[in-house]
Amino acid sequence: METGYTLELKQVTKQIKGKSIVDKLSFGVKKGEIFGLLGPNGAGKTTTIRMIVGLISITEGEILVNGLDIRKHYEKAMEQIGAIVENPQMYDYLTGYNNLMQYARIMPGVTKERINEVVKLVEMEYAIHKKVKTYSLGMRQRLGVAQALLHNPSLLILDEPTNGLDPQGMHDLRHYLRVLADQGTSVIVSSHILAEMELMCDRVAVIQNGKLVRIDDVTNVTDQADATVHFQVEGDVLKAKDILVEQLPDLPVAVEAKELVIMIQQPEAIGDINKRLVMAGFTVYGIQLKKKTLEERFLEMTGKGGGFE
Amino acid sequence: MKFQSLVTNEWIKIFSRVRTWVFIALPVLIVLGVAIYGKVTEDQSAKTNWKQELTEQNKGLKKEIAQAKKDKAPKMYRDSLESEYKQNEYAIKHEISPYETTSWKFMKDFAPMSSLLGLFVIVVASDIVAAEFAKGTVKMLLIRPYSRWKILLSKLLATLGFAFLLWIVLIVSTWLIGSVFYGFGGMDQPYLTDVNGVVHEKLISHYVLANMGLEFIEFAVLVALAFMISTLFYSSSVAIGVSMFVTFAGNILTTIFSNKPWAKYTLFPNMELTQYLDEGMQLIKDMSLSFSLGILAIYTAVFLVITFAVFQKRDVRA
Repeated sequence: METGYTLELKQVTKQIKGKSIVDKLSFGVKKGEIFGLLGPNGAGKTTTIRMIVGLISITEGEILVNGLDIRKHYEKAMEQIGAIVENPQMYDYLTGYNNLMQYARIMPGVTKERINEVVKLVEMEYAIHKKVKTYSLGMRQRLGVAQALLHNPSLLILDEPTNGLDPQGMHDLRHYLRVLADQGTSVIVSSHILAEMELMCDRVAVIQNGKLVRIDDVTNVTDQADATVHFQVEGDVLKAKDILVEQLPDLPVAVEAKELVIMIQQPEAIGDINKRLVMAGFTVYGIQLKKKTLEERFLEMTGKGGGFE
Repeated sequence: MKFQSLVTNEWIKIFSRVRTWVFIALPVLIVLGVAIYGKVTEDQSAKTNWKQELTEQNKGLKKEIAQAKKDKAPKMYRDSLESEYKQNEYAIKHEISPYETTSWKFMKDFAPMSSLLGLFVIVVASDIVAAEFAKGTVKMLLIRPYSRWKILLSKLLATLGFAFLLWIVLIVSTWLIGSVFYGFGGMDQPYLTDVNGVVHEKLISHYVLANMGLEFIEFAVLVALAFMISTLFYSSSVAIGVSMFVTFAGNILTTIFSNKPWAKYTLFPNMELTQYLDEGMQLIKDMSLSFSLGILAIYTAVFLVITFAVFQKRDVRA
């Protein structure tokens, strides 16, 4: 069964003690795409990932990896997945290299050359023969990525991969995820940090309370035309607002922190409003065009819903 | 796919731990230490004048028996005194010195070491599943293209392999140390035992070999038990605790409940397989080696079925 998706979730539900942690979640990840799972802590991202890799059972629905139902063809499906679920926990008492050997031995077709190649990719050559207990979180994270990549999976799943990475590490991660995606690997990245998603992903699924809120290209999610213009005026801001509403009853205007905040579709309108304010005797000492950040949009979408760190 | 590699991985993990090497070295060091101590403090006069020694002992025993009869002491106590008396008598008559030490006698004397090894095996068996959950590494292991039962089976086989190795190391080192200190040979040395009030002559080497096999069966049952508990509770300490309780407190419970008709169907009395090596040592009568093996097989099968069924289905949120 060829669906064109590397990973497909169909109406996937996970209930624990009668409570839906993930609720009828459906989405597909295309070949060569970096797909973001975005949501506050407790939204169901990790639960979804755990179902995809078979750590927890699926209450209802179907998960297909390259068209294979993971419940019916578990071993075949898992061969195609490389993953980090939450923190990459390694055997502390083994070296980084011997940790990789643990997985190399049991995955199909991993050669010594491949191990060295992956170690080089994540830039861990300098510490690979040291015991993992001496590693920093960032080094563990890199080793985690290395073990996930060992067998050239067609689907790479990284749960909160930027935890513990410094800015350089994050930049490197973005870079090699892009390289992998260009080679045809599909990547799923989960995060609760929106700015990271914006930089890393092609498409994003926003999840809250186990439900899909929205799924779209990352550019559509970020650049929509809901820019606002902030007018800073001297004097009574509320009076200025009343005057504007009187003259332009359809204008969406609000007062926030002693500024007039106006949703404007056309930029020409800015001059018009400025003129009206000046004519009414107000001194305008600042005009700012503000685009909503992903963060603000996200809070809006999830109903100011919580749990952000 | 490469199931063998799963076992190799587990084996490597076991041997990457310092404690594993302690478990292997410690029994050998104890045997060596006891051997040296025994050689240094060896009582030469007892060895040459053993007949006199035994005659003296029997004089004492005779008085004790008479006293016990007068006091109406428990039958078990009187029987043991009489049995000892008869064995001494037999030894003097047939020239079988109990002080004659050979490598095989030396090995027989170290049979109780198996309890220590049992403890080490329990620790490894309890930890091999639970530690992966405690450290979270189980996630990395379970997302591989292997059904869960294969992963669990690889751990079970690795643990049994370790138990086997530990046992072999003890046996070989005891034999070697015994041979170096007391000379090679002794395969044909007899020892005396009491069967229903009659003294019998048996070969020490047969005892040692039978003991090896039976102890290993006990290890295997303990592994299955520790494995089940660590899988059910994800806790190596609970698993170690319960398994040690079965090994060490089992005897006490057996004694307490020995007159209950259901006692012989519980795990504890059947865990002492070596009781059948010398007849008349059992706490509960009308049990036999084949009965105990059957009961152990049933318990082990139940333990394993529960372990695999739970492990296969359970959600992993470590």
